[in-house]
Order: sequence, then structure tokens, then C-alpha cells
Amino acid sequence: MKIRNIISFFGLLTMMACEPEMESFKPSPGDADFSTMVAVGNSLTAGFADGELYRSAQQNSYPNIVAQQLKHAGGGDFIQPLMKDEYGFGNRLVLDVIDGMLTPVPAGKQVNPDNLLSIYDEKGPFNNFGIPHAKADHLLVPGYGFLNPYFGRFAKNVNTSTVLNDAMIVEPTFFLLWIGNNDVLNYAIHGGEGETITNVEYFSKIIESIISLLAENNAPGAVANIPDITVIPFFTTIPSIGLVLTESQASELNLVYKDFPHIEFKAGQNGFVVTDAEAQGQIRQLTANELLLLSVPPDSMQYAGWGSMKPIPLQYYLSEQQIENVRETVDQYNSFIRKITGDMNLAFVDVNTPLKNAETGIIFDGVSFTTKFVTGGVFSLDGIHLTARGNAIVANEFIDAINKKYGSSVPKTSVTEFQGVIFP
Amino acid sequence: MMRKIFTSVLTVLFTLHVYAGGYQVSLHGQKQIGMGLTGTSLTIDGSSSFYNPGGLSMMVSERSILAGMSVINSYNLFHLQGTMYEARTENPPSTPFYFYGAARITGNLVAGIAVNTPYGNNLTWEEGWAGRFLVEETSLQAITIQPTASYLINDMLGIGAGVVFAPGKVELAKALRVEDQHEEGSMSIKGSTSGWGFNAGIMFKPLPEMNFGISYRSRIDMTLEDADARFSVPQSLQTYFPPLNKASTALPLPANLDFGASYEINDELMVAIALNYVFWDAYDTLAFDFDTNTTLLTDSKNPRMYSNRLIFRAGGQYRASEKLYLRLGGYYDPTPVNENYFTPETPSVNSVGITAGLSYMLLPEVSLDASFLYIHGMETQAAYSPANFAGRYKSRAYVPGIGLSYNF
Repeated sequence: MKIRNIISFFGLLTMMACEPEMESFKPSPGDADFSTMVAVGNSLTAGFADGELYRSAQQNSYPNIVAQQLKHAGGGDFIQPLMKDEYGFGNRLVLDVIDGMLTPVPAGKQVNPDNLLSIYDEKGPFNNFGIPHAKADHLLVPGYGFLNPYFGRFAKNVNTSTVLNDAMIVEPTFFLLWIGNNDVLNYAIHGGEGETITNVEYFSKIIESIISLLAENNAPGAVANIPDITVIPFFTTIPSIGLVLTESQASELNLVYKDFPHIEFKAGQNGFVVTDAEAQGQIRQLTANELLLLSVPPDSMQYAGWGSMKPIPLQYYLSEQQIENVRETVDQYNSFIRKITGDMNLAFVDVNTPLKNAETGIIFDGVSFTTKFVTGGVFSLDGIHLTARGNAIVANEFIDAINKKYGSSVPKTSVTEFQGVIFP
Repeated sequence: MMRKIFTSVLTVLFTLHVYAGGYQVSLHGQKQIGMGLTGTSLTIDGSSSFYNPGGLSMMVSERSILAGMSVINSYNLFHLQGTMYEARTENPPSTPFYFYGAARITGNLVAGIAVNTPYGNNLTWEEGWAGRFLVEETSLQAITIQPTASYLINDMLGIGAGVVFAPGKVELAKALRVEDQHEEGSMSIKGSTSGWGFNAGIMFKPLPEMNFGISYRSRIDMTLEDADARFSVPQSLQTYFPPLNKASTALPLPANLDFGASYEINDELMVAIALNYVFWDAYDTLAFDFDTNTTLLTDSKNPRMYSNRLIFRAGGQYRASEKLYLRLGGYYDPTPVNENYFTPETPSVNSVGITAGLSYMLLPEVSLDASFLYIHGMETQAAYSPANFAGRYKSRAYVPGIGLSYNF
């Protein structure tokens, strides 16, 4: 009798001898209907990375990551206008070691002409309307596909379609909108030359029209603000006072510039010499608060004396005033985006804050990120667009905002499942 | 009768929400395991060398030799906060063991030796899991070797002490956030070291059927001076991760203050309790100091912030026949880990242990001892805040054990 008790007790323990289970996350759509979602925006929405739009980067676009998570809460298929290969229109960068330095270089692939062919009839209609290079008002321009092949390749009618009209074909029940970067970024990446910042009032009207159209059937959605672009690696990688000189080099240069008393070199760090129409002799040195752009040709810096013997042209730096123009505009755009999102009762996604915090380092799911070029993990090789892991962080910000606004329980993605920069 | 006891013990254990943890292992004698890992107040055999050197002098026989081992099959489960992501461990079974030898030198003096494994950790998370940048695999293997002397002052009082020598091995592997087309980078640190400590105790026997014991095992510092640090990284980054690097780190094995009491109700039934206070606050920081640092390989100080914890243990033994002893017990082991500094390298949650055991006398001097321990780790919501890594943890462990005792 006692023995039997013991045997049954050990038997019971053996039956319990299985791995533990946990009640897992219970997804629910809350007040929203995620069955048909469209995402509208620019390159950041398209999944553009490493200087190009290519297939695997599109698959890791932030809206596609959100869409995969929404599937747990009633979300439907999310059709993207995928490129046929990993090189898109041929501008993709890859990382290589040049003279012992990790350097992004063109992948050097021939453009596959199939990537330029219209894919609407074969694959459409689509759910991702992220159009590289698009400014806010471009989304409303009929025939924009004729001007921008990134849209042209999947527009319903390249000569008449607007991005937004095409986006409405699937009759979305939910939308994601992240637009406006290029309205200020284009100015900034050209050093303020030959490009203008979109006027805030005009921008606000455009945003209002876009949101009204997207939400016209009372479709709920989430709208993101614009990151402070001056913290991204394109602007922060090359130090503006990165001209490092020895004592003798400094005195040699001082001789060269002896007619320009406002230009002075000393041993150590010095501001690079740049063109400036308003400066004496139309040249001056950069201050520590100015930004030298990643686009400045390294060969000219290294071998042609740019920044020391010759001034760096205007399109390669942002002056303090230009930086101020950019930041002020971003603030104004963002306060309008916040306001209208509130007025229209939509989810507001603050992408600016986490990206800003990444400047000093942020940690998600045990992985640390910074905005540092190449090694930071957030930004891809063009210094402007995100890595897959960066997109996962943005996707989780969208999901947080959606859950908060609509009382839904959409599971976030595990950030570490996505890749950062691939090293050689 | 037995069924009633089983039922009530189970009920008590599952309704009280008390729980031990960290990287301490308390499997040092099949008889004690069977009784809820109590042992501080027992004077049954040479295992007192470890449990309470003061009690060794009260050993019943003239000589005692014991050996045994357990097999820890442990499972951990993790759920990443806010996601559908779950990961499991694939821990290899670990095998703590013990060997005790003791002999009465004079009427009052007993000498003994204890060789066992009071500290250890053996954890392997599934490949590619979400927390791989914190830990992929970790193992701590330490053996303690303790020569002991125990003196019986009078029939009621015994004292004893031993010197502890602890050689050990530490391994840690984790992923690095740099990847090439084929694989992600990784790092491993491996090293051996040894530490010293002591173990002292007093046994008080006010009545023939009643024992009180108190014992203190000191902290042992396992300091690794030049552990091998190995890196697997993309070729272009190899200059940042020197191939023959060394690392220093230190892991404290915490001190324990134990109190125990036992009472023989009648010839058949004996009950015991033990309070085990573990000085976990010794584990404040896990630091790594690399011989060669680079911009991508910096020294690190990782807060652990463990807190001291009291473990409550209770158990009993029932002599079913001349040859058969049955045992039952349980304990509550509260995790020493701060819920904001909860790392997946020691995912120690509050847990309840339920034990059962038996001894069968093969010969009048020789018994075969067996035990089974089930550890139920409570589901815990926790985060390692410095890495923003949050989720829920849960664990289970199944620990069968077997041993032989020869008392003559």
C-alpha cells in the first residue's frame, strides 16, 4: 500500500516532467479594422536602404513589419511592389575595405531593365505606397509616375495616377502615413543649394488634404512625425573641424592664407576651409557647430586639397543658419502633424524622439544602437535610410502608438530578428 | 496516512508564494534532498562535514563513507514583452555530486572530508534567441574540497570547522552585434581559477530526540585573472577584436548562514526544518576587463544587484520498515535577483521545491539512497533594464538522484 503510494507519487512527478508553458500574448484588434492596410510615404516607407530600393530591403520595410504583426490581430495581406532583385535601379552600396578603412562602395551591378517595367497588371493592386524621393505634395500630382520611375513602375496608369488615388484602390480600412522628410531633407543633403524647404503653411495644407483623403471613409490610421535629420550619419560622420594639422603644416597653411586674416590654423583640429559668398574673400573656415556632409568626395579631400588648400563648395556643408532653418522647419512640421493627428483622432507616432535619443545610444531588446555611421546599427550605408533593424524599431513605435490609440493588442516584433549592417 | 501527508504538503507548497536561486546548488546528500534539502540539524552520517561540521562529532557510527550524485534537468522559458516571441533553454543536464568520508579519531574527535559541488550553473539558450547579445551559454562548475574536524564538548554540544578549497571553471558565450553575410559575431570567455573559504558549525542537542544546528559557510571569490577571450567576427573587423585576448572577471560564491532544528516524534517519524540565509549581496556587479581594448571592445561593468535571501525548508523521514526509510519535504526559494536587473544568464525566479526520497538498507551498514526533487519556478515579469530586455520568465527542474552510504 505504502509502496504503491510512493510509486504513484513518482509517477505523478514524471508526468509533470515536461517543459514549462506560458500563457502567450493575446492579440486583438481593439477598435480598429486592420483587414486592409495601406502605407503611404517616401523612401522610409518603401524600405529604401543602402542608397537603393531593392527586394530584401523592401521585405524589411517598416510597414511590412507592421503588417506582419497586424496579421495576428485581423490584418490581411500586404502587397508590396517588390523589385525583381537585390539591386533595384543599380545604385546600391555595399561595404568594403578600402585602404584599411570600412567604406561603402557601389555594388557595381548592371541595372536589370525588368525593374523598370510596369508591374501593376501582374502584381497589383498594392498596399505599400512608399515612393522614394517623394515630397508631400508629390503624392497628389497626377502622372507623378511619369516623373518618378519608383512610382511609375507600379502606378495603375503612369500618365494619370496620383499616388493617393492608387492607394485608395484597395479601399483601405487602416492607413499608415509618414511623409514630409524630403520637404526638408532635399534642401539639407544639397547643402541648401538649388533646393528649397517646403513652406510650412503649404506643407500643412498638403498634409491636411492627404489625411482627409486617406481617412475619407472614417478609416483609422497612424501618422508619424519627421525625424530631426541633422542627427543622422549623413550629417554627423565627417567632423566640420576635422582638419588635423601638425605645427609645421599649420604654419605652411597660414602662409598660403596670409591675405585672409580671418583664416587661421593651429596644430591640432581646425575647421575645414569652405566657400561662402558672404565671407571675406568668399572663403572661411567651418565652425564646430556646422555640418559637413557625407557627400563630399573623399578623393577631393584627400588628394586635391579640398578643405585646406581649396575651399569645399557650398553644396557640401550646412551653415549654422541653414541648420537652424532645417530644425525650425522640422519643429513646425511636427507640431502641425501632431495637431492634425489629434484633430482627426488618429494615432500619433513619435519617431523623432527615439532617433534623437539614438544619438547618444539606445538599447532595444538587449541590442545597443547609435546613430554612428556603419557601426551604429540603425542607419544603412547611405547614412540616411534605416537598416532592417532600424525599421523594426520604427515598426514597434507604430505598433505602440496604434495599441495606445485604438485599444488594440498588436504584438510587437522582436528587434533582434532583423539584420543591421552587413560587414565584409 | 501517507496520502494525507502528501496532499497537505502539496497544498501548503502551492498556496504559499514564497520561493532560492542564483547559482547555488543545494544537492549534497540524498537523505537531506529527500527531506526538503534540510541538513543543518541532522547527525545521521558523514555528510555533516558539509551541512554542519559541529554535528559531525555526533555521528552515530565510527566511520562513514557516502557518495552520490543528482542529475538536474532544467528548463527555462522566456516570453519577450509585448511580442509573440518565446524562447527556451536547451540546457545540458548537470550532475552535482558529493563524496564524504569521516572517522572517529578519539571518543570526542571526528575527522572528515567533504568533496561536493555547492555552486554551479549550466545554461544554454536556443540558438539565435532574442537575448543572445546578453548571453547564449554560460556555465559555472566549482568543486569544494573541505577537510573538517569536529569535537564533541559534551553530550549536548558539538563544534566543528573546515577549510574549503574551491577550484572552478567559468564559461560565458554571447553574440556580438556585428555580422557578415554568413553569420553573426560571437564572443566567448573561458577560464579556470580557485578560491578559499571556510565552513564552521555548532550542534546543540538539548534532548536525545531534539537537535538544533547552526552553521556558516564563508564567501569564496572566484577571480579569473586571465581567462581566454575568443571572438568570431567579420574579417573586416578582426583588428577590433584581437584574436588572443585575455579577460579578467570575478564571481563571488556567496556566504551561507544556516539554522536548523529537528525532532524525532517517535521511533518512526522525524521532522526537520532549516532556515538558509544566503548573502547574495556579494553579487553586485559582473565586470569584464579585457587586456586589449578597442573602440568596439570596451571593458564592461554590468550591474547584478543581488539581494540577501532567506530560504525556508522543511521535511520529514518515516521509517516504514527495518529496511525502508521514506522521506518528503519542500522549500521556498525566493530569487535573489532584482526584478529590474534580471539577466537571462541566471534566470532565477522565485521557486518552490518538492522532494521525496527513500533509503533501502542493502546490508545492515549499507544503504541505497534515492531522491527526487521537483522545482517549480514561478512565472515572473522582469527586465534587465541596462539592456532594455524585458519579458516573462518561468522555469522547471526535475532532479533525480542516487547514492550509497556505508556507516560502520
